[in-house]
Amino acid sequence: MIRAAKQSLLIAAKDLRIESRSRQTISLVVVLGILVVTVLGLGLGGQRPGGPAATAVLWVAYLFSGVLCFEKTMAVERQDGALAGLLLAPLDRGVIYLGKLLSNVVLMFAVAGVITPVGILFFGFDLSKAPLGFFAIMGMSMLGFAAVGTLFAAMVSSSRLQGGLLAMVVFPITLPLVIASTQLTSRLYQGDETWNGSAFAVLVAFDAIFLVVSWLAFEWVIEP
Amino acid sequence: MSTVATQPGTASTASQTPAAVQTIALQKRIDDRPILRDINLTVASGQYVALLGANGAGKSTLLKILATLIPPSDGRLTLFGETVGWDGWAARRRIGLIGHQSMLYRDLSALENLIFFGKLYGIASPAARAVTLLKAVDLFDRADDPVKSLSRGMMQRVAIARALVHDPELLLADEPFDGLDAPSCRALEKLLAQLHQAGKTVILANHDIDQSLRLSQRAVVLRKGRVVIDQPSQELTPPAILREMERA
Repeated sequence: MIRAAKQSLLIAAKDLRIESRSRQTISLVVVLGILVVTVLGLGLGGQRPGGPAATAVLWVAYLFSGVLCFEKTMAVERQDGALAGLLLAPLDRGVIYLGKLLSNVVLMFAVAGVITPVGILFFGFDLSKAPLGFFAIMGMSMLGFAAVGTLFAAMVSSSRLQGGLLAMVVFPITLPLVIASTQLTSRLYQGDETWNGSAFAVLVAFDAIFLVVSWLAFEWVIEP
Repeated sequence: MSTVATQPGTASTASQTPAAVQTIALQKRIDDRPILRDINLTVASGQYVALLGANGAGKSTLLKILATLIPPSDGRLTLFGETVGWDGWAARRRIGLIGHQSMLYRDLSALENLIFFGKLYGIASPAARAVTLLKAVDLFDRADDPVKSLSRGMMQRVAIARALVHDPELLLADEPFDGLDAPSCRALEKLLAQLHQAGKTVILANHDIDQSLRLSQRAVVLRKGRVVIDQPSQELTPPAILREMERA
């Protein structure tokens, strides 16, 4: 168990080291996210809606950036057949999944760390009302999103239809997560402190189900 | 390339240990298309086997199955006396694969790549082992350079070091001479011979028939996924193998 955890951390650290050298993923993904927020923010006419529509704009940016991020981190493994090198190592393939998931979560947080302030600028969100609640919701949302994205990026990376296929698969699957997260965060932004238990339960259930299912399924979808 | 250090106690002899590789009625189908048909092959520990065949004969697929990268569609695979299950990850500790591609991370240095893989394999001193291997493949002076800055020949040498990082008993080499210049080819030939002399089992898939017969003890020729020749290399001639490969 400890050895598996160490191996997962090793894989994630390797991904982040590669990213820190090349900066291929983070720069592209951040620019895309900022563009999405800016274009949609301007499209909404600078009305500073602050409600569900503005939260949805942020989620559109997270979704597109995330999909690009998942594709790029898996593309590193496909280059020069490095993935085969990983698959040849004596480790459970679930360990590889957890390592890739961890690096994707870290990258998604970094991306959200840039995109969210841009959203705050455009839409005037007030995070000071419940900062911990916001971070908890975002943490759980990003984890669930990355759990699905990591699995399907691995699956799609061996297909010839890489381009838009990942988005076409991941967006519908993450819909319950996006709806729940949007409901929870828009309440926070509006200063509504009433507890939306059902939306939070959806987040928890989504994370639990997709973490376990993706971890188990990774073995069967990953191909050298 | 200088001598590659092997860790003590891993060399084996045919009389003491079970066969390194045994396949029984091994089959592989991809989209209902047969790639390998009824492969029955036994490779004794310490043997040097050349795997020959035209493009699409099934050499790479067979090596991938032996490396436990992909599962067979049917049949049984036994490595060092143990049947390989659906995941086969315990057996991977004893296998090294040199493939068409380097299987390295381009943005990491040669040293970082070897340390990373050494840690994944759980070897005792990954940094020391990486340095030893880089010296063995004459690349210690480029240890800190990103792999993407190395030439094709140098990259292949790092790939060989990666395949040897855990001191495997079975080395599978899938056309390792592709794209190498003459001196690099000679150096690789020498390295494979050294590993064989150190008791490793080597299975080499190669297009060059003359070279394969010169290097190996035994030649296995595949045609359309079937074994059509399995004989000691010294009993075979390149024209005879070519005729068999070309037969409809």
